[in-house]
Amino acid sequence: MASLRSFIKAVRKAKTIADERAVVRKESAAIRTSFRDVTLDQTTRRINISKLVYLYIMGEKTHFGQVECLKLLASPRFVDKRLGYLAAMLLLDENQEVLTLLTNSLDNDMQHPNAYIVGLALCCLGNIASPELARDLYQNVEKIITGSNPYLRKKATVVAAKLVEKEPDLAEFFLPKIPQLIADKSPAPLLGTLRLINSLYLYSEESRPVLVKNIPKIVAHLKRVTTSGYQPDYDVMGTPDPFLQVTLLSTLRTLATDDQCPPQYLEEINDILTQVASNLDSGKNAAHAILYECVKTIFAIQSDQSLKILGVNILGKFLSTKDNNTRYVALDSLLSVMNIEPLAVQRHRSTIVSCLSDGDISIRRRALELSFAILNEQNIRVLVREILTFLENCTDNELKPYITSQLTIASNKYAPNDKWHFDTLIRMLKLSGDYVTSDIISSILALILQCNDGELKVHITQKLLSSCLEDSTQYGLSLITVWTVGEYADLILGTNIEVNGKEKVVTDKVILNLIDQLINNSTYSEQETIQLITYILTTIIKLSVKFTDAQSLEHLRVILNSRTYDNNLEIQVRAVEYQEIFAQDNSLKKGLLARMPPPPIKQRESLSLQRTNSKAKKSGASNSASGNSGAATDDLLLDLMDDHDTGRSTSNGNPSDLLSDIFGGSNNTAVPSNGNGANSAILDLFNATSPALDQQAAPPHQDALQAFSNSNVKISFIPKSFPQNGQAVIEALIESNSSSVLNQFQLLIAVPKTQKLSISSTSGGDVLSPGSSIKQVLKLVGNQGAKIKLRVKAKYSNNGEIVEDQFDFGGFPLTL
Amino acid sequence: MSIHFILVLNRQGKTRLAKWFNNNYTLQDKQRFVSEIHRLISSRDSRHQSNFVEYQSNKLVYRRYAGLYFISSIDLIDSELSYLESLHFLVEILDVYFNNVCELDMVFNFYKLYNIVDEIYLGGEIQEISKQKILDRLAYLDKLD
Repeated sequence: MASLRSFIKAVRKAKTIADERAVVRKESAAIRTSFRDVTLDQTTRRINISKLVYLYIMGEKTHFGQVECLKLLASPRFVDKRLGYLAAMLLLDENQEVLTLLTNSLDNDMQHPNAYIVGLALCCLGNIASPELARDLYQNVEKIITGSNPYLRKKATVVAAKLVEKEPDLAEFFLPKIPQLIADKSPAPLLGTLRLINSLYLYSEESRPVLVKNIPKIVAHLKRVTTSGYQPDYDVMGTPDPFLQVTLLSTLRTLATDDQCPPQYLEEINDILTQVASNLDSGKNAAHAILYECVKTIFAIQSDQSLKILGVNILGKFLSTKDNNTRYVALDSLLSVMNIEPLAVQRHRSTIVSCLSDGDISIRRRALELSFAILNEQNIRVLVREILTFLENCTDNELKPYITSQLTIASNKYAPNDKWHFDTLIRMLKLSGDYVTSDIISSILALILQCNDGELKVHITQKLLSSCLEDSTQYGLSLITVWTVGEYADLILGTNIEVNGKEKVVTDKVILNLIDQLINNSTYSEQETIQLITYILTTIIKLSVKFTDAQSLEHLRVILNSRTYDNNLEIQVRAVEYQEIFAQDNSLKKGLLARMPPPPIKQRESLSLQRTNSKAKKSGASNSASGNSGAATDDLLLDLMDDHDTGRSTSNGNPSDLLSDIFGGSNNTAVPSNGNGANSAILDLFNATSPALDQQAAPPHQDALQAFSNSNVKISFIPKSFPQNGQAVIEALIESNSSSVLNQFQLLIAVPKTQKLSISSTSGGDVLSPGSSIKQVLKLVGNQGAKIKLRVKAKYSNNGEIVEDQFDFGGFPLTL
Repeated sequence: MSIHFILVLNRQGKTRLAKWFNNNYTLQDKQRFVSEIHRLISSRDSRHQSNFVEYQSNKLVYRRYAGLYFISSIDLIDSELSYLESLHFLVEILDVYFNNVCELDMVFNFYKLYNIVDEIYLGGEIQEISKQKILDRLAYLDKLD
């Protein structure tokens, strides 16, 4: 049997992957054979196991050596035990039955007279603790934790933290040890104690009130560490004991955010935070780590106004450093601080904007997100200019849809005037018209339709036309231009526009040129071309009543005719029908092709680039009753086009969709009830004429709290009975947003441990077809006055694909 | 709350150390992580980019030392800066222990590398923060038996 060293050398010498595989296979086979030898001595076994660990690092299969690891660590010699435990920690995991075999060895070794062997066993237990191991061995840890050896105490506290994490019921044994442990001033055991406190707090709710009482002691430790002066052993580049300080601060944060934390403790924490933050020389990563932890704490707990300003200023200072890492965390934190201290963050606007041109993409992304977050009426002109410049130079195509949709939302909200608003949107379309989603396109079109200012309308149409003539490759711009020109060509015929710096009179010919150019454009995908052509056909039929020149009309007819043979059914059908209309009398056409009434605009929630934030925002959004969430991706523009069609024919491919769109299907129920002013009138109009259809859509519940909505389902909660005696009855209403049938629908709900929940079986089975709904009754029992928080998971199968949606909901107005 | 795993990869993507503190990963997961993480990190520009990158639902904190990437995976809410400092702490210990550590030391003494990691971290938590104590302990343990 070769030595470990020669095996490693052989692996390294292999020139090709095939050679290496051969070496590995051969050695692996040799190890297996050797393991079968019942008389195997421990030295050979040790060599085998160390080779096995090497194979493990290489990512090879090592399961056949698990039992051998256990045999090795059962040896009385320290070297054997050391390698045995090392291998056990790597090769075994908590899912394996072999673990039960390990229990006995761990139990023996934790009672061993040699402290280092106890250390090995503790280390192993900490790494692969399973709930079973935790229950079987906690007593050993309990004994060591109060023992005299600091080396073992330190390990035991960390292990205890792990055991509580795996088996929260063990908290009752470890909680009483905290007063003794927290009194220890030596850094490493204190670090372990803080871990244990955190773990107890997180996993055992009953322990929380007791743990909160330790705040003054932690504050005292922090005070001692910050004022202790130079300690060579724990100093990192002039910063005293950063790891301990960071952990002390984060533990304080955990405890101080508890509801039970008394105000006098908070005062103490405020004082110590000020002290820590002002005592540090920044400039070093270690110091920044502590300051960063301070800032996180400042904004997590109820801190003084002055402290909050200090916190934002620290982040501002971070932003102006050269270190990418520090800037990264600063931007990250400013985003979350935005909700708490918007004004203070605003002050760092110029620094944030300068980060938009940073070399690091992740910093740029965060700066971008922050720029959108600080956008308001006052700074929109400046910021949007910067963002548009960013968009112009942006090479990251993934980011563009985010920018365009955020920009649309922001300018909808804060535009100083309509002209600026449209100019911004058109500029955005010109810069990245390829990256606007269909709902953005539809809302821009709706905006144009709603514009009542005739002069502005002329301006918009002119500007769109000239932009599109300059660059006809931006899909979104082309679509919108084609549509707008079709609708308003008569307004701009004969006026002057500027194309590439040259004055040009708008004539039939200019418009026809653009149409020809767009039809012949080959940069679009097939889907985009189809969409664009259908738009162009509609525009052509509209233009047929706006143009008077016979030649131009003939040109229109030729385009229309050529499409009656199109391969695409939708285009062909449209072309044939339009051809019919084209030949009709002009007065009839004029009535038919009159201007469109303005449609309602769909509200959208702002998006987030980061997962963490989006979660927070999502729950925030669901709490506000505004309902109609960003998930509604249906194409308003298509609705517009389809409206048009229904006037004459039912040529549309999917009439059922069409109806539900117009008559306000389940997606739209929120809109009419919110009363979108005059805009909803058109919906009401349709609703009134078709009561039968309207009944199909579920009537909006007055008291339903919408908790979640995506393209498949909408889940709301209806509080049924809140007698305020620790009980509550809630009805969960699940409605389908999907156009297909959802099968095997299951609602799984979790509540905090102190509450009990029973769920009735569903009404209407587990199949959710479009337009239908499922109801389930939830009964909650818990402490009187407790808040209701639900974690909900909806599981269903959509076209055979299992989908899981999870969300948290706590937006009930009443308590138990 | 704690580190999910620590990886040491060389520039070619070969693993020099893999310590998985989170026990929920399967062998396939681990292999996939290693190759994906190598691709992700080696493509990043060390001068212009931060040492943090989001990966799946966690955050990777990494730093390159000569030809080796030291990588640890932490929760999104945890402090990147202090875990970055902790990686440096590990490297400093290695440097003293191996007396100017190089990749070959780590290849041939991989088990010592694991022993060192076990003295600094326990179950993904930092357990000792004094360099001197760790080095003394390692020297003593190596002499045992």
